[in-house]
Order: sequence, then C-alpha cells, then structure tokens
Amino acid sequence: MKLKLAWLVAASIFTAPVLAADSIKIGLSGPFTGGSSSMGVSMRDGVKLAVSEINAAGGVMGRPLEVVERDDEAKNELGVQIAQELINKENVVATVGYINTGVALAAQRFYQEAEIPVFNNVATGSVITKQFAGPDFKANYIFRNSANDTIQSAMIANEAVNRQGFKKPAILADSTNYGQLGKTDLTNALAKMNITPVATEKFNIGDTDMTAQLLRAKEAGADVILTYAIGPELAQIANGMAKLGWKVPMIGSWTLSMASFIDTAGPNGDGAMMPQTFIQQPTTPKRKAFIEAYQKAYNIDRIPSPVSAAQGYDSIYLLAAAINQAKSTEGRAIREALENLGTKVVGVVTTYDHPFTAADHEAISDNIPVFGLVKGGRVGPAHPEDLEGDSALRIKPKA
Amino acid sequence: MQILMQLIVSGISVGMIYGVIGFGYQLTFATSKTLNFGQGEALMLGALVGLTTINFLIGQQIGTFWAYVIMLPVVLAFGALQGSVVEWLGVRPAMRAKSEAGWIMATIALGIIFKNLAENIWGRDALKFPSPLPEASLSFGGIRIQPMEIVVVVGAIALMLGVEFFNRRSIYGKAVVATSNDRDAAGLMGINTNRIITFSYALSSMSAAFAGVLVAPVTLTGATMGAVLGLKAFAVAIIGGLSSGMGVVIGGLILGITETLTGYYISTGYKDVPGLVLLLIVLSLKPSGLFGKAAIKKV
Repeated sequence: MKLKLAWLVAASIFTAPVLAADSIKIGLSGPFTGGSSSMGVSMRDGVKLAVSEINAAGGVMGRPLEVVERDDEAKNELGVQIAQELINKENVVATVGYINTGVALAAQRFYQEAEIPVFNNVATGSVITKQFAGPDFKANYIFRNSANDTIQSAMIANEAVNRQGFKKPAILADSTNYGQLGKTDLTNALAKMNITPVATEKFNIGDTDMTAQLLRAKEAGADVILTYAIGPELAQIANGMAKLGWKVPMIGSWTLSMASFIDTAGPNGDGAMMPQTFIQQPTTPKRKAFIEAYQKAYNIDRIPSPVSAAQGYDSIYLLAAAINQAKSTEGRAIREALENLGTKVVGVVTTYDHPFTAADHEAISDNIPVFGLVKGGRVGPAHPEDLEGDSALRIKPKA
Repeated sequence: MQILMQLIVSGISVGMIYGVIGFGYQLTFATSKTLNFGQGEALMLGALVGLTTINFLIGQQIGTFWAYVIMLPVVLAFGALQGSVVEWLGVRPAMRAKSEAGWIMATIALGIIFKNLAENIWGRDALKFPSPLPEASLSFGGIRIQPMEIVVVVGAIALMLGVEFFNRRSIYGKAVVATSNDRDAAGLMGINTNRIITFSYALSSMSAAFAGVLVAPVTLTGATMGAVLGLKAFAVAIIGGLSSGMGVVIGGLILGITETLTGYYISTGYKDVPGLVLLLIVLSLKPSGLFGKAAIKKV
C-alpha cells in the first residue's frame, strides 16, 4: 500500500505539472469503427487537422492543444465509460464529437455535472442541446455546430413540397430513435403545409427486403420518398425501387450523403437529395484551403463524409476562440466565453459571428444548410445557385 | 393480383435463405441432437471469406461471374473447416462430459468469438459484394425479379437436393442416416459416430457459408449480417420441425411470405410479429414442428 502510494505521488509529481504547463487536453469521442464510422473518422480527421493548424500557429494561450481520442463504437454504454474516463482520468477541458444522438444523450450528463463543455459536431437529434436547458438547469454545457433534425426535417418538407411541388410524400424511416424521432419531425413539418404523407413505413436495421414498404408507398400513389435512416438501409431502398422498376425522387436527412449509401446504391442512388452544411467544393477561400489541406494531410480525393469533417474542424476553432477569450481552461469560463464569443470565427461551414447565447446553443441556423445531390458517386449542390456569389457564405442571423 | 404475386416472389427469395440456414440446424440436430447457435456467424464468415476471395480474383483480371464461380469451392471448403472446428471445440467436449446444455453455451461463445474476429479482420462496416449477374431486374408479366434472387432460390434448392441425394445414395450418407436414427445402434454396427457428427457440423456450416455468398450480392456483407438471419432461421427450424429437412425449407417459405404479406397488408411496423406468433402457436400445438416426428424421450 505504502509503495503504491509512493508510486502515485511520484507519478503525479513527474507528470501533472508537465501536462498542466504544456498542453490543453480536449476529449474526442466518436465511432471510428462500425456502421457510422465514415462520419466518425471524417470528423476525427477534421478535428485533428484543425488542432495541428492551431498548434503550428502557436497554440492557444501559448500552449498546444492535445486531442485525447476514444472510439465509442456508437454504443451508449461505451460512450458513458469514455465520458467518465475523459473527465476523471484525462482531465480534459472540453470534449468534442458524438455522431450518434443516443450516445450523446447518454454521455453528456457527466460533462454537465462536471461543468465541462461538450461540443456536438455531428449528432443531429433535436433534443441534444435541450437536455440541460433552462429554466430547469442554471447553466447548459452542451453546444452544437451541426444542423439539428428540426432544421433538417423542415428543409426536407420545404424542398419536396414548395420547391419541387410534390403533393404525395411517403415517409420511410428506420425503427431506431434516429429514424422514429426524425419521422415525427417530418410529419410535423408536413402538417404545417397541410400535407399528410400518403404512407409512413418502417423497417429495421439490417432489413434486406424493402418490397413491402415500397409497394405500399407505390400503391398509395407516392410521388416522392422522404427518408430518415442510415446508409445501408437507404441503399436497400434505392436498390429496391430499381428492382420494382419504380422511380420517384428520394429526399431525406443528411445521412443520404453517407459513403455506405452512395457506394452500395451505385447508379440507383443518383438523384438523392439531402441537407448539407458543407459540400466538397471550393466555394469560399476558407473552404478551398480546408479541402486542399484535408486532401494533403490524409492523401485522399473524396472526403468520406465532408459534412462531418467540416463540422469537426470548425468545432475546434470555435472552442479555441472561446479558450483564448476566457484566458482560462476552466469549464465555466469556457462556457461563458462560448455564449458571448467576441471574435468572429471564419469556419468552413460558415463565419461564426456570436453563434451562441445563454439560451441558444445551436451554431447552425436553418438558412445555413443547402441541398446536396448524389451524382456519379459524389455529393454536389442540388441547386448550384445556392452556393454562388453572395449566397455561398450563409451566416446565422443575429438574434 | 400482381402485387400479391410480387410480394410472394419476394417472400420466397427471403424465405429460401431462412430455409438454407435452418437446414443447417437440422443437419446437426439429426445426428447429434445438438445445434450450432453460431449458425448466423458461420454464414457471416462464409460471406466475408467469399468477399475477400472474389475481390482477390477480380484483382487478377478474372470477370466477376467466373470469379464468383471459382470462389464457391473455396467458401464451401472454408465452411466445412469452420464447422469442424466448432464441433471439435464446442460440441465434442460437452458430449463427452454428457452435459445437457454445455454445447449451447459453447456454440454461442464460439459465435461471439467468430464475430469479434470478423470485426477485427474486416472491420465493422457493411461492405458491398460484387454481383456475378446483372443487377437490373427481369420482368415476368409485371412481376419483377432480380437475376440474383433466382440464383438464391435455385442455389438453395440445389444444395438441399445435393445433401438429400448424398444421404440416400452413398454409403457415407447411409451412415449419416443410420446415426440420426439411432446413434448407439449405428455405433454398434461399426459406424464411427463421432466422425459422422463432425461431418454433420462441417456440412451444416458449409450450407450456412453457401447461404452467405448467395445472399451477399443481394444484401450487404458485414460482421453483423448473421445475427438477424441466424435467429430467423432458428425460428424457421422450430416451425418446420428440426427432424425434417423438407419441413425446414417449407418453414422458411412460410416465414418469408408471411413477413412480406404482413408488411404490405397490415403494417410494415408489424412485419416480424406474425412469424413469431406462428412460432408460439406451433410450439404449443405441435412442439416437434409442422413436419417433425414427435420424439418419445425414454428415461
């Protein structure tokens, strides 16, 4: 026992001061293996790119940033363990990440209790930033810079009904929380336009035969299919439609840009449309620089999930700006700095000008995402005029 | 009418897959009264080994179709080997110890090990399997079928006929049948029943691996692909009766067709319910399955 204690003391003498003086630790939690790994890995690579740029430019408050990355495998229970490890063992000053809404909801409770900010840079569940919102909680430590499902579902409904004039949408959603919550958001968004979906169908993760769902939508006279699901099953829908020789447009949540959808559906996936905060095209100088830096750093041409990469990248710059402003690595000070960010942060997705307030922890507003379109294995803009000239840079309106 | 036919056709191709995997359950149950609960994993491993092999062959400038054909014996051999390993590690020790349930835990444990192994080798992403036939569907009087779906049905029937033929016509097959009928008596007649049981496991995993490469071009390949299919096939084996190969196939068709019909005529949210209700009804009215022979257990 005495020996153990001696070791602990020795260890803390040798390690603790070095770390405290040297690096600022930022946690990173996301699925780097498994079904959502293309998003997790792109996000991680975006985060690391931002960190290396910041460190090359002298770091934050003269100290380098250090990323402590953990693979949560999209599992809630693993996300919880990682949160506890990052908070208590690694003493991170903030954590970025989360691809999966379920993992975020399960894990961020520990950060809230420890008063350490969490930056959700990919997960889209509407409830994420509301979990600890006022007036029930004095301070909310959960921030986000991805387009939440309320924004996405409204955009999908608007695109289908107002912009493209479809009147008989069918909703196809998977049976997970993501799919079913998204289905509810979509139904509500359509109801505001006095449109009732002609069919609302459900399927399970791993389902391979979509004949029944598609035939029901077809027989109900659907003229467009609205989706809330993830890559592999979305591909089964596209392939199932081709099999039945029935072709109506597919418009859905941003997961239609997942590599597993695009690669598996192949030509059948062409024409699918989804909200995107970032499309891999150099429409602003910052985007051009980001794409080139990413391609050079990771030696690839197509970013597996451009949205995740860009949002991961931006989340670090926002956090760094807040730490600089707070002149402290204390959680409470960082949160206050984030809520009153004085400096404009030029990001890939947008230019963040006072993105958060105490009541609003969403950096992305509904005017920022544009529609992407799958064509020839890549996502391009569905309406190129959306990203031309002045509209290329879309900024959240001041509250 | 056309819709009904389309649903039945889709149900048959799904049900055939359940049937082939369930057929694997039946093979080992017949000889040893044990089951490989890692059957779904055997299917998954077969599909992934097939994927690696076919990608290698395509890399050697062999066309997808011939690559698929050459890949088949590799996968079948791998399946046979994998099944023998399961029997040797999981089932034989339990049978030697006369353990009533040891093989259940052992085969489940091996299934989990195989799944983790696959995750480490192939990753956890769902991967696309190259289709040996064109993916555009054929139309028969308005009913649309993918060429690969026809291959699934034909391949499944061919496999089962092959096994039946082997059992009825060859001397080795007769040894298998003898062991299924009465293991002790077969042993007394000089049949090496241990070897027959190993063989039945090899055959069982082989049929699962074959089912894996049959479905893979229609679906996706990945470490988790076996879990749902293995479970459904188990239900099929119970519905059809574990002692009847034909029963398992019909059980598969029943489940596949009920799923698509319920999905369309009732609700896609309740797609899986009728199959399970059917399972409960069969268990309470005819526990040996629709086509099973009731076994009297002598104590």
